[in-house]
Amino acid sequence: MLRSCAARLRTLGAPPARRPGLVWRLFSSEKVIHKDYGLPNPSWSKDLRLLFDQFMKKCEDGSWKRLPSYRQNPQIFKDFQTRFVDPRFAKEEQMSKAQQFTRSFEEGLGFEYVMFYNKAEKRMVCLFQSGLHLQGVPGYVHGGAIATIIDVTTGTCAIAEGIAMTANLNIDYKKPIPLCSVVVINCQITKTEGRKLFVSCAVQSVDEKTLHTEATALFIKLDPDKRLT
Amino acid sequence: MMRTGFQRVARLAHHKALPGNPHLLPRLHQASAFGSSTHSLVARFCPEKTDLKDYALPNASWCPDMLSLYQEFLEKTKSGMWVKLPSFKSNREHIQGLKLPSGLVAASDKQDWRIFTRCIQLEGQGYEYVIFFHPSEKKSVCLFQPGPYLEGAPGFAHGGSLAAMMDETFSKTAYLAGEGLFTLSLNIRFKNLIPVGSLAVLDIQVEKIEDQKLYMSCIAQSRDKQTVYAKCSGVFLQLQLEEDPSQ
Repeated sequence: MLRSCAARLRTLGAPPARRPGLVWRLFSSEKVIHKDYGLPNPSWSKDLRLLFDQFMKKCEDGSWKRLPSYRQNPQIFKDFQTRFVDPRFAKEEQMSKAQQFTRSFEEGLGFEYVMFYNKAEKRMVCLFQSGLHLQGVPGYVHGGAIATIIDVTTGTCAIAEGIAMTANLNIDYKKPIPLCSVVVINCQITKTEGRKLFVSCAVQSVDEKTLHTEATALFIKLDPDKRLT
Repeated sequence: MMRTGFQRVARLAHHKALPGNPHLLPRLHQASAFGSSTHSLVARFCPEKTDLKDYALPNASWCPDMLSLYQEFLEKTKSGMWVKLPSFKSNREHIQGLKLPSGLVAASDKQDWRIFTRCIQLEGQGYEYVIFFHPSEKKSVCLFQPGPYLEGAPGFAHGGSLAAMMDETFSKTAYLAGEGLFTLSLNIRFKNLIPVGSLAVLDIQVEKIEDQKLYMSCIAQSRDKQTVYAKCSGVFLQLQLEEDPSQ
């Protein structure tokens, strides 16, 4: 238990010049607080905050729900590991350093985002603000960063139905996204066929006047009786 | 048919005169069939001397597979048929002396830009990669080792991180093969998971260049080709950069 606390401490960004003894004593109380990154911070622009407030209002009647977002992979993935993965791939040391890619940046420099889910419509909305470390063509968001946030948003939408993996991802880039701007990513499950989940996605500007990107994704729900590796 | 915003600018920019000769002398020795524009793009992209830090060089985090394959490709660069591409912290550093056509230039006073695939600078934690380009055959090979920060499913690289690596390799290939600049589309079929810390080899081929677009295909697999991780096709928009006299 103590070892996993220390491991979690490493990934929570503890200062590099720490003395192991001191750390041990501080966290021996077993309570480790996980930071929720899906909440406003000083790097959030006015646009992002306004949208956040609008969606928080929509949550009041229960039709929408804000999703918390942690740096560590949620428990659902830990279950994934024990059930689906060959033990020789689970290297203890690597596991302790692992963290969600989209939360591996300093405040404001990478992906600043929060997701809201509407269960009745099976719809996920992600409010996304890109930081300076996501650059591609100078002044614009890297195509791969856009692919990443689309994969994360469509994936979270699909995972609401059960653990699923991306099979296909098709992205049409229409207009480049200016770096540091805010966009709204709207995803919806359009069809379910057995274990296949079809998700469609649109990335728009805050005023909805610009369609930046469109995407479709196919996710496959994992078969509980089969190992992946 | 209505063209989208930046495609319209691209069309306008395309009709301007080509930029003048590059400053650097070509390093490639052999007379080859490739067009002079790829030749001059490569020469300008791979400066003989630079103060800029090249991140596409071996470090302590590279697994033995990656190191040995890197050495194999380095040998191949001696004949001049393959070129190792440098990888700087930002694309701004790659296009020094050039700028986007007006209408696309984003004025900014910010300083700390970073290209997405070099966002995590801790050795071995994020994207470890190096790209080798073959100018005459318009193809590339990218050696990619995803670190623990790129994790998706526990122990494996996030699908989005592979998508980003493919997009970045397409991007450099498209630029050198024909001044491709913006991604128009990516179509990825994921087959198998890449274990974190292992080597994935991406093979990219330019299939055709037509109507101001570059069409490319990519296959990402294990070194022994026994496991296919993903297949992808990508289309990039050609857009010439302009000389920037202020730099």
